[in-house]
Order: sequence, then structure tokens, then C-alpha cells
Amino acid sequence: MSASRVLLSALVAASIAGAAGAQPSPSATVIALPPMTSPDSGTKGNESLAYAWQATQLIETDLRQTAELMPLSPDRKDYYSFPEVTAPSFSKWRERGAKGLITGFVQQRPDGRLTVGCYVYDVDKGRELGRIGFVAAPGDLRRAAHKCSGLAYKAITGSPGMFDTRIAYVAETGAPEARVKRIAIMDSDGFDHSYVTAGETTVLTPRLSPKGGRLAYVSFQGGVPQVRVVDLGSSSQRPLLPGNAMTFAPRFSPDGSKIIFSMMLGTNSDIYVVGANGGMPQRLTTAPGIDTDASFSPDGSKIVFESDRSGTQQLYVMNADGSNERRITFGTAAYSSPEWSPDGNLIAFTWRFGDTRRVGIINPDGTGEKILTGGPTDEGPSWAASSRELVFQRTDPTGRPGIYRVSLDGSQPRKMTIPQDGSDPNWSGAMD
Amino acid sequence: MRKILLFAAILASPALAQLPGLRQRQVPAVPVANPIEVLRADFAAQSGGTMVYFIPGSATLTQQARTILAAQAMWLRQHPEVAVRIEGHGDPTDTRDHALALGAERAAEARDYLILLAVPAAQVSAMTWGKERPGPPSATTTLVEISGGAPLVGTAG
Repeated sequence: MSASRVLLSALVAASIAGAAGAQPSPSATVIALPPMTSPDSGTKGNESLAYAWQATQLIETDLRQTAELMPLSPDRKDYYSFPEVTAPSFSKWRERGAKGLITGFVQQRPDGRLTVGCYVYDVDKGRELGRIGFVAAPGDLRRAAHKCSGLAYKAITGSPGMFDTRIAYVAETGAPEARVKRIAIMDSDGFDHSYVTAGETTVLTPRLSPKGGRLAYVSFQGGVPQVRVVDLGSSSQRPLLPGNAMTFAPRFSPDGSKIIFSMMLGTNSDIYVVGANGGMPQRLTTAPGIDTDASFSPDGSKIVFESDRSGTQQLYVMNADGSNERRITFGTAAYSSPEWSPDGNLIAFTWRFGDTRRVGIINPDGTGEKILTGGPTDEGPSWAASSRELVFQRTDPTGRPGIYRVSLDGSQPRKMTIPQDGSDPNWSGAMD
Repeated sequence: MRKILLFAAILASPALAQLPGLRQRQVPAVPVANPIEVLRADFAAQSGGTMVYFIPGSATLTQQARTILAAQAMWLRQHPEVAVRIEGHGDPTDTRDHALALGAERAAEARDYLILLAVPAAQVSAMTWGKERPGPPSATTTLVEISGGAPLVGTAG
């Protein structure tokens, strides 16, 4: 009975975990995902198998969100014994066309927690590609399953998975002329949704630290837009800089030690960098006009930013100390809000021509420009940890903004399920 | 050319009621008890408006904008007890951060022009809403605020 309740909640969880799955591309790798097993027996064994089934379903949901992996639906006919976790029958899965295989188990500990183990195999070669294990409270089974999904994703694609990550965004409610904006944060599967600010003042552009523990955002609380930094663990927060200068467009450095941001000085907006815990800001750009939306390369050596010094917004790359500025876009459109991908290979941007805004990608050397979304009101892309997917803001024809995910493979953007309207999404790296 | 909002406008704060210079300014024809509202109405009427407009993507003051700002400067020099706050707006179809910066640049251009016309800098502050206040704001959107205990009036926009 309790097992069936657990099962039911697992199914509910899977169904709200987000929008419809990605369209698997023809090159997607087929993964066998038979129901995970347990060494436990008796009543305890039934409970453990219910947890194992829940974990299996969560992994399936995770993998269906990707364009690169296509899980076979878990079938209870394919139950296997505990010893088979580490000695699976490869020929059976080879015959069904699977290239990869995920096995695993859930075991209940005397202290009430669960031991969860996952294994990923190359079916053709009959070889283990990786394994991972946790001791987790039953309430953390979801995160353990995400870690298993991440292991499989990395083993097959070589890229970090984005399953155990967080998304911050601006939650919007109220009439268009009197929007209430709150910083919100959730796990990337939509769970653990909470609000960081209460809505008493306008807030913008939350940007998570690489491991998701801190968040920088812009608040109008002091009468002008200013960057503030929140520790999400303790909820303590402070202004990035003392004083009343207008600061905005914050982003953490890849190691989390610095924050790069824009500051107005008179009629001029330039890019500065400062320690994430404070200190003296260092000015990196000096051109007249608006330089803003800076983003570090993942090795921290370079910075991409936008500048309208040429007359329209275009993308530029410079060294982390501000030297060697180089323009990389030369279109008649405007290019803005760049973000460097976590693998370093691409830069996402907002493309704007007239009133139309779309999301695109380009190589850091300015070649390979590609528009990913149709617009006409798409903006503010932010990378998944996998570097294969973006989250962005799209405003519907009635003026209500929502949050969408789009893969680089050319499939259609998918709207994410959130409790209200949302804007300015930002995706963290993988959490510890 | 599509006009984009901009800002400018009025302000006075409840703290003004305590200012000696203010209490003497009775305006009998207007049946409004709140001296701030009286000041705002007078400022808007004498200046030809509380808002000036920019060309999309530009922070350059147009001739029309300069005319309004010049009238505002004259009024402000006659009312040294009043402070104004200039609120700059970006273009609604711009991206978030560029709109913030453009609004700040527009507000700073307007503020600099008032100062050029001999309005004391302490009388004029500037901020930006970016694209956070959509649509052309009406005069009623002007907010009166108190900042650091100093009287602050808003110019709007």
C-alpha cells in the first residue's frame, strides 16, 4: 500500500517535471533503462523496490528532456536481480538496439536513509562507463536520480548533465502597468520552487554563482538600480558596492570569486570587475557609449560583452584585464546580452532587428552565427551546464513573459511550467 | 519618428510643507490641499510638460526636448526649495540591460542640460527605469519620495 503511494507520487512528479520531452534527434543514443532493483527482501524489499521504481522514472524523465539520449521505456518485465546490477545481460539489450544501459539499486539503511547506486554501461563493448553512489534521505531521492542521469549523460555525450542544476528567474504578477517582480529560484526540473525577494521593490536579472549557492541581482530598493548579492544558504544579502552609483548586468566569474558588472558614470556605461565579497572595482572598458552584459569565458581568460560604440549594439571579446578588445559581430542587426557557453565553444546572444528579437549562437571568433528561435520577442539566453541547451525569455502577444528551453539541435523551444509569468531566466552550473 | 518616452518632471515632498519658503506660496485658485500637487501642476504648466521624448536608440536631446528643459530650468531656478528627480526610460523592444543603460544615459543628458542652464546640481537627481515602466507614463505616475531626509521631487518619465 505504501509502495503504491510512493509509486503514485513518482508518476505525478514525472508529469509535472516540465514540458513535453525534447524531440530526440535521429542521432540520439538509445539507452536501456530497466527498473532498478534492491537487495532488500520482504516488506522492506517492496518499499525499496518502490523507491527504485521512482528513481527509474525520474531518470527516464530526465533523459527524455535531452536531444542526445533516448531511453527505452522501463518495463517491469525487465526486472533484474541485485547481482545483475554489476553483471548485466548485454546481449539482451544489444538485440533491442540499445547502445547504453543504466542499472542501479536502492537499499534501505537502519538509520532510515537510502543507499542509491547507479552504473552506466556501453552495451556494444560490454564495458562499464561509470558508476556513482549516494546515501540520501528518502526526500533527496530525486536529486540522487538526477545525479544518475548526469552520469549517463556525461558518459554518452562527454558533457556535464544539467539535471541537478537550478534556474533563477524573475517571477512576475500583477497588471502590466504595475508589475510585481520577485526573484525566484527552482531546481531545473521545476521542484523546490521558492522566492528570494518579497516583491516590495522592482528586481531584475538574477545571476547564479557557478555552483548555485549565491545569486547576484539588480534591485531598485535604493531608488536607482543596484547590484545586490545573496547567499542562498543563509539568505543574508548586501549591496555589491557601497554608495549610490547605478550598477547592473552582474555575472559571476567561472570560479565564483569575482563579479563582473556594468556601472554608469555620467552618461557612460562601462564594465567593471570586483571581488564577489567586495573590494575596489577595476574598470575594464573606457569607450564612450554603452558597454554592458559582460560574461567570462569558462577558463576566466576572456570576456564577451556588448557595446553600441559603433552605433548599434555589437559583440566584442577582450582579455580578462580589459586588453585586446576585438569586435566579433558585424551584422546590420543588433547583437546583445551575450553569454559564453560552459564548454567555451559558443556564445549565445539576443539578435534584434527593428522590433524583432531572437536568440542565436556564434563562435567566439565571430564565425558560425546561427539563429535558434523565431521570435519575435525572445531575449536573454542562458546556458545549461551541458552547453547543448539554453533557457530564455519569450513574451507572448498579450505581453506576458514566459521561460523557454531550446536545444542547439534545431528543435522547437519548449515552455517551462512555472507558477506565474517569468522573465530573465538564468541557469546554474552543476551543483556539488 | 516614433517618440519614446522620457521623463522629466516634478516633484516635491511632504517634507516641503515644513520649508518656510513653501508655506507662503498660496495658490488660491487651485482647490488642492496638497502643496506638492500644487507645485507639480505649476511646474508642468510653466514648463510645457514633464516629459521629453527621444528618438529610439538615442540619448541625444532633440530641439523640442531642449525647449522643454529650458522652461523647466527657469522654473527650478525660481523654486530653489524644490528638488526634482529625472527618470529615464529605455525602449520597450530593447534588451533588459541596454534599456537600463540607455534610460540612465537619457536621464543624465537631461540632468546635465538643466545644470548647464544654471540649475544647482543638488536640485536634480537622475535614475533609470530601463524598460520596467511600459507605455507612455502619464503625469500621474510621478512619484514623490523622500530620500535621506532631503526633499525630493520627481521629474518623470
